[in-house]
Amino acid sequence: MDLSLTEEQELIVGNVRRFVREEIVPRELNLDPDADELPPDDKAALVDKTRAMGLYGLDIPVEYGGPDIDLVTRTLIAMEMSQHRAGLYAPCYGTFGGAGLAQLFEATEAQKEKYLYPTLRGEKRGFFGLTEPSGGSDPARAIQTRAVRDGGEWIINGGKIFISGADRAQYGLVFARTSPDKGRNGVTCFIVDTDTPGFKVQRVVHTLRSAHYATELTFTDMRVPHANILGAENRGFAIANDRLSRQRIPYAAGCIGVAIKAHEMALEYVPDRETFGAPLSTRQAVQWMLVDNEIDIRQARWLTLDAAHRAQQGLDFRKEAAMAKLVATEAASRVVDRCMQMFGGYGVTKDFPFERWYREMRIRRIGEGPSEVQRHIIARDLLGAGLR
Amino acid sequence: MKVLVPVKRVVDANVKVRVKPDNSGVDLNNVKMAVNPFCEIAIEEAVRLKEAGSASEVIAVSVGAGNCQEQLRTCLALGADRAILVETDVDPQPLGIAKALAALQEKEGAELVIFGKQSIDGDNAQTGQMFAALTGMSQATFASEVKVGDGKLEVTREIDGGLQTLSIKLPAVVTTDLRLNEPRYASLPNIMKAKKKPLDVISPADLGVDLTPTVEVLSVEPPAEREAGIIVETVEELVDKLKNEAKVIS
Ligand SMILES: Cc1cc2nc3c(=O)[nH]c(=O)nc-3n(C[C@H](O)[C@H](O)[C@H](O)COP(=O)(O)OP(=O)(O)OC[C@H]3O[C@@H](n4cnc5c(N)ncnc54)[C@H](O)[C@@H]3O)c2cc1C
Repeated sequence: MDLSLTEEQELIVGNVRRFVREEIVPRELNLDPDADELPPDDKAALVDKTRAMGLYGLDIPVEYGGPDIDLVTRTLIAMEMSQHRAGLYAPCYGTFGGAGLAQLFEATEAQKEKYLYPTLRGEKRGFFGLTEPSGGSDPARAIQTRAVRDGGEWIINGGKIFISGADRAQYGLVFARTSPDKGRNGVTCFIVDTDTPGFKVQRVVHTLRSAHYATELTFTDMRVPHANILGAENRGFAIANDRLSRQRIPYAAGCIGVAIKAHEMALEYVPDRETFGAPLSTRQAVQWMLVDNEIDIRQARWLTLDAAHRAQQGLDFRKEAAMAKLVATEAASRVVDRCMQMFGGYGVTKDFPFERWYREMRIRRIGEGPSEVQRHIIARDLLGAGLR
Repeated sequence: MKVLVPVKRVVDANVKVRVKPDNSGVDLNNVKMAVNPFCEIAIEEAVRLKEAGSASEVIAVSVGAGNCQEQLRTCLALGADRAILVETDVDPQPLGIAKALAALQEKEGAELVIFGKQSIDGDNAQTGQMFAALTGMSQATFASEVKVGDGKLEVTREIDGGLQTLSIKLPAVVTTDLRLNEPRYASLPNIMKAKKKPLDVISPADLGVDLTPTVEVLSVEPPAEREAGIIVETVEELVDKLKNEAKVIS
């Protein structure tokens, strides 16, 4: 079993690391500490560079023109791309290309023309609308938004909460109940244009995240053509579940990148900072924080690469992705917290990225399924039929 | 035109280095290594010459331990055609490196050899010049622009107070300054191709050279820490301090 990176992986990862340090970090120093976008000219210049590197469109499958690299390498790249202040929710400020909503790759050709390709070209943005006020942990049961058929159209009534970026989107995926008595097999996924009458961004929901606002949406007699169903009627949940599992891997990787950077900054800082006549690095209390950081990062990293490897091999990876998400988000939260502690008062200032990481990292233990739900998924998998 | 580019493996420029407690050198444990930035500029220049049709082949060469292969692969991914490692366990010094490269040049017969002006570890800025002396090739150091002519090069150098332009005959040695070019990022297709390019490993004995160091390092010390500055309130105060404390004006 060879756990080392290939020469190609070393070179690709080294390239992205250099890009983050030489292109992203210096520009970020001139931005507001809560910014989530680069000035358009800067962004365009950097996109030219990622295109020349052959890494533009990282989230796009090869058959749609994305770079020809496997999921493990993509995961390694994701661990590099988040190593800057805005890295958790705006990795490299989108200079490696916009992420298409993964489900759209399952769309019909006409739907792809209208939504997927413009998104990949960076002309349209979409949102993912699953969570409702009635609960996000178990959306299959909780979804109350109703869609009722009327000839060639569906009439949708209800609402969503915590939907990221719907205020800046041209369309989105809306999950609605189409067969009330069929539970998880009664939910359908609709592609909805945000200019459809009856669609409303009720408000921006302010959270402790600076980047990419969450929003609350309401739908009032919103008419959506039958042709806008993604996948099949009553089969929306298969789509949601697949996306949620797949998404957990880069989600974990982003957290690990931030932890790696925070840890690196602490390792550099403690030999120089003196208290009581000796550098912090000589104190066992500080050394153990560094040791715990190192171990936290390593275990999260291997679990995440293992999940990516299994997904790449076409093996079942649902449990592994849940473990990676659970461990990486919790480990990275601890690492950022310890680093903040070692930097003392400076750790909580906006002169350093820790405070932003600290705030935004807190969401990672809730978003994409809270820690408890990940444990629930893992337990279900372990017990299988033994769980009656 | 065949172009030879010697490259050195050094501590990554982003790493904050620390002197070992026994002052025997810099602590390299767990430290990320990279291609010396000036050598990267040299590779970039060679690859651009090839893209412009002036160079026919670009050969990256390094003298050092086996792990220098990592940096040579980077050079191959950046566009070099092949690579040679002169593998040695001793930490080579400028004269030894220049001798090994001179022996290699004997075999390769490159028309142009592009060095970095210095490597950021020892900051010696000697290897290119020593190599030129050993081989009797013409040289232009600290180049900020290189133009290829018929059997000659026109090289612009940054000197105190201005620019100097030299015309030198090929075969020639050029060392690169920081502003010669901005090195590219290796592209994904070139990274994938790099592994298939030849990388030969030879020994100093194959070249008939002895790399035993001739200079002994007695002690490595970190630079003295700068004292904290002060902010003066008025111009009068500044002038007073420059006159009476720093004594730089009278
Ligand atoms: C900033 C932000 C952005 C978001 N973006 C999106 C988006 O773009 N699209 C989208 O659809 N959703 C989005 N969400 C919603 C997110 O996915 C949900 O918040 C999450 O799934 C939890 O749902 P909930 O908030 O309704 O909590 P609930 O379902 O009410 O759960 C509350 C808590 O109960 C506990 N819990 C739940 N189930 C169990 C169990 N079985 N056993 C033990 N404990 C349990 C957990 O601790 C959980 O945190 C976003 C959320 C935030 C905060």
